[in-house]
Amino acid sequence: MESKPSTTPSSFIDQQVFPGDVVLDLSKMANQTIKLGGGLRQDGDVISVMKAGKLRFSKPNKYWVESSNKRYVPSAGDNVLGIVVDAKADNFLVDIKGPTLAFLPVLAFEGGTRRNIPKFEMGTLLYVRVVKANTGMNPELSCMDASGKAAEYGPLKEGFMFESSTGLSRTLLSSPTCPVLETLGKKLAFEIAVGLNGRVWVNAASPSIVVLVANTIMKTESLSPVQQKIKVESLMQRMR
Amino acid sequence: MDLEREGGRGANQLRPIDCSRNVLSRAHGSASCSHGETRVLAAVYGPKAGTKKNENPEKACIEVIWKPKSGQIGKPEKEFEMILKRTLQNICLLNVHPNTTTSIIVQVVHDDACAALIDAGIPLKYLAESGKILLDPNKLEEQKTKAFVCLAFPSSVHSVLTEGSINGIITSLTHGVMAVDDYFQCVEQGRAAITPLSNILKKKLQSQSAE
Repeated sequence: MESKPSTTPSSFIDQQVFPGDVVLDLSKMANQTIKLGGGLRQDGDVISVMKAGKLRFSKPNKYWVESSNKRYVPSAGDNVLGIVVDAKADNFLVDIKGPTLAFLPVLAFEGGTRRNIPKFEMGTLLYVRVVKANTGMNPELSCMDASGKAAEYGPLKEGFMFESSTGLSRTLLSSPTCPVLETLGKKLAFEIAVGLNGRVWVNAASPSIVVLVANTIMKTESLSPVQQKIKVESLMQRMR
Repeated sequence: MDLEREGGRGANQLRPIDCSRNVLSRAHGSASCSHGETRVLAAVYGPKAGTKKNENPEKACIEVIWKPKSGQIGKPEKEFEMILKRTLQNICLLNVHPNTTTSIIVQVVHDDACAALIDAGIPLKYLAESGKILLDPNKLEEQKTKAFVCLAFPSSVHSVLTEGSINGIITSLTHGVMAVDDYFQCVEQGRAAITPLSNILKKKLQSQSAE
């Protein structure tokens, strides 16, 4: 671990931080507006860490802690994969791996009216967008994008869904395309939907391709990009 | 009168510590921790919706289940559960997820000394044996002593503040008879030993989550 604290916050950026670590001292920074993302909280005059993870900073003034968990903390604007648990009069209750169930209003579909309410059975997998996620309230979901179009949201039929950590989901969704998906995509044809809550859905023409893609993604989670490429190549060799 | 301890440890040395994260694939969070021969496995499930009947719905509720290595669940286990629960409630920020329950299940794998607070904060144990104070006893030493104290301190933190160290105690559990001065000495020794202990733990946790 590094030797003792200097007063500049840059000493902690991109470092592993633990709950309780103090990362910013507001009294030393003159009139600035700082935006705090997940994992940080304000404790009087200092900013301290709530969750263990890597501290990240993006100009001009955003700080957040990146951590990878099996549970998801809902936040507005995320695309997640949810499973329908119950259907009530006004909304569907959907499990998105968060602290509470989320509500999907029955009318939140493109062209949705009281007359054509979709019928989802318990256990249906849905690709949805989180509209609102405030603490203490159940999150609200929608099957439309911000402008009211359907845009790929909705039930996912067939295929295979597996669960992993939120960190893996973020890696899969990063741009430029993550090496695993790129290498797999060069040789195989498959469909994939990644939810920021740690759920991934894969579909392909034959089950063996689905299994290969799913296993590859799960196994290469903890490898570096170069290692990932090598591992994917070797797994695909075995298939041929 | 110099006390001799098994294994040649000095009065102030700790037993070897090991800890690893994410050992259980189905639990939402898990850790296995060992101090010398004592090993404990802890699993966390949550936060899940809903609180228990008597708990405050504005805060998150923490539920602790303590499973001993053998035997039925009796009063000592309930006591450990309560101690752990109180300790954790003081550490966790309970307002972040109101009206949820987080379950923590602690399984004692190998019981050498009282593994009561192993996962929370940084716990230490002291003995006072006719005037001498020993750090981190094992079971034999524990049985010989007049009194022992189990203390949980907050772990040392890295800070951009140049002054201000953490100087509180989260939990203190005492057994037996000891003088007031001895107790304070135990507290001081414990506080001094926190820094190396938490550095070791952080290193272990960091190397595992480095990917």
